[in-house]
Amino acid sequence: MADPVVEVEHLSKHFRVLNRREGLWGATRDLFSGDYKTVRAVDDISFDIHAGEMVGYIGPNGAGKSTTIKMMTGVLKPSGGRLLVDGNAPYANRQRNAQGIGVVFGQRTQLWWDLPVIESFKILKEIYRVDNEMYKNHLGLFNELVNLQALYATPVRKLSLGQRMLCDITASFLHSPRIFFLDEPSIGLDVSVKNKIRSVIRELNQAQRTTIILTTHDLGDVEALCQRIIIIDQGKIIYDGPIGKVTALFGAYRTLKVQIHNYREDTSHQLQTGLEVRFGGDGAIPVEHTEAGWTDITVNQDQVPLLEVLHFVMETFPVKDVRIVEISMENVVQQVYEGALA
Amino acid sequence: MKSYVALARSSYMAAMMYRFSFSFTLIGNLLYIALLYYLWGSIYRDVETIRGMSFNQAFVYVALAGAIFTMVKTWADWEISYHIRSGAIIMDLIKPLDFQLYALSRTVGFLFFNVTMIALPSALVLFLLFGANIEVGVGLLFLPAALVLAFLVSFAIDYIIGLTSFYTESIWGISTTKEIITTLLSGALVPLQFFPDVAQRLLRFLPFQAIYHVPLTVLTSPDLGVKDCAALLGTQAAWVLILFVLGRFFFTRASRVLTVSGG
Repeated sequence: MADPVVEVEHLSKHFRVLNRREGLWGATRDLFSGDYKTVRAVDDISFDIHAGEMVGYIGPNGAGKSTTIKMMTGVLKPSGGRLLVDGNAPYANRQRNAQGIGVVFGQRTQLWWDLPVIESFKILKEIYRVDNEMYKNHLGLFNELVNLQALYATPVRKLSLGQRMLCDITASFLHSPRIFFLDEPSIGLDVSVKNKIRSVIRELNQAQRTTIILTTHDLGDVEALCQRIIIIDQGKIIYDGPIGKVTALFGAYRTLKVQIHNYREDTSHQLQTGLEVRFGGDGAIPVEHTEAGWTDITVNQDQVPLLEVLHFVMETFPVKDVRIVEISMENVVQQVYEGALA
Repeated sequence: MKSYVALARSSYMAAMMYRFSFSFTLIGNLLYIALLYYLWGSIYRDVETIRGMSFNQAFVYVALAGAIFTMVKTWADWEISYHIRSGAIIMDLIKPLDFQLYALSRTVGFLFFNVTMIALPSALVLFLLFGANIEVGVGLLFLPAALVLAFLVSFAIDYIIGLTSFYTESIWGISTTKEIITTLLSGALVPLQFFPDVAQRLLRFLPFQAIYHVPLTVLTSPDLGVKDCAALLGTQAAWVLILFVLGRFFFTRASRVLTVSGG
């Protein structure tokens, strides 16, 4: 196989943060405090990514995803380990590294807030020294994909979130980056825009064999786009491998959310025991009481049919309301810890 | 180079988008000139000259300081600190640009806006409406260069102050302190000629006089020769060099401790 475009070896990033105290008096005492703790945001991770790969880099909030991306884009200096992006050490050669990568952060924009969209493209064309022909081709491509032309004259601040996201992706792609980082690109978007963005990303990956690294906690994005998935939690990589295994796992899991009438403290315990008696296995069907009266029952459909569980719950308890949702990121991580992918 | 020009162009355009805001700045500036006229008029009521300066010279000096203020106020410190606190700094750093020149080119755009829309009209009003007239010498030829250098010194200081937000996040305190020190020690409020001789000599060794005092002296002192002017501009240029290098050195240090808020 060819040389990897991203090489990560024993990479770490530690932050020193002040232990903050609570309240007015605590905040005042913090002024003179020397009480620091070290947070290991990224803790000794290693992986390689090859040209043309689409990798999902996922994990719950605060897992260290963004910190890794910020190191790969040269914004943060690693505390230890080795990191090469396209043969460059990103922090030491920030400007050179920046020329070869494209970055989209779902919660930020790199467009000029007050100016019409097309002006931002023109400025970026100069910044990245994109020649006229390439510039025309790229805008042409995006026009074909999402009819961008209609937005050219609109000031960025007047775009909808979805429109802005499409413009941001276009902007980050003008200079044909070899490696493209997308950090939470579909956050807060509705399903149709999400699909549009996914198809754009897929197109970009195929058109120029661009390597794509996608950070998200929307498993749907990863399922739709990536062949490989890296799961990180508390700064450590807990899974790195083909997506098939993971989809097989969380594809089969559903969370059954029920709202029980006259919920008492021991209700979820009763429910848990009831399920164990009925379907067997100890703790195989975890029950958890969560926000505002909802009780979550995690069901692996390969083992137990969801409908039977639902039927059982409805018969045994006075159920007010029911929802079925796909498994959450936090749940996946928990399942991985419990050896689901081993 | 072309990319930095494009950036300057963009901030000029962004300023133009809010076309009504500048008219208020202009009005504020004119009120300030009127205030100075009456203030210095009463100081000079019974005397012809103070420390060798006539009313006209002193008034033009401080009133033009007001016009220069809108030019050399770069806001680079506030902008950098705002980007640190909002996390937008990350969008600055993922661009293949030198951070210092990037910050500079953004302020240059506003500079052009402020010069054409605020500083020039203020100066015009000063001379037409208040009948301020002064003798000018060869110094007038040096004025444009002195103003450009003043802007660069001011930017370099603001840039360094802005970088402290990499450590402290908020720079309200430090920036206000800098503002007061600059205003007082640069001649923006009171001509430096009015300071005690010892203080004047000491201030020569600080960068602040390069911002206001040098361009104003070049304009209001008709008896300055070419050599004197060149020497004054030379000190300005030296400060630009020193402060720019300091800023670059500081950035390499500060970027190591960077943490990015949010996302």
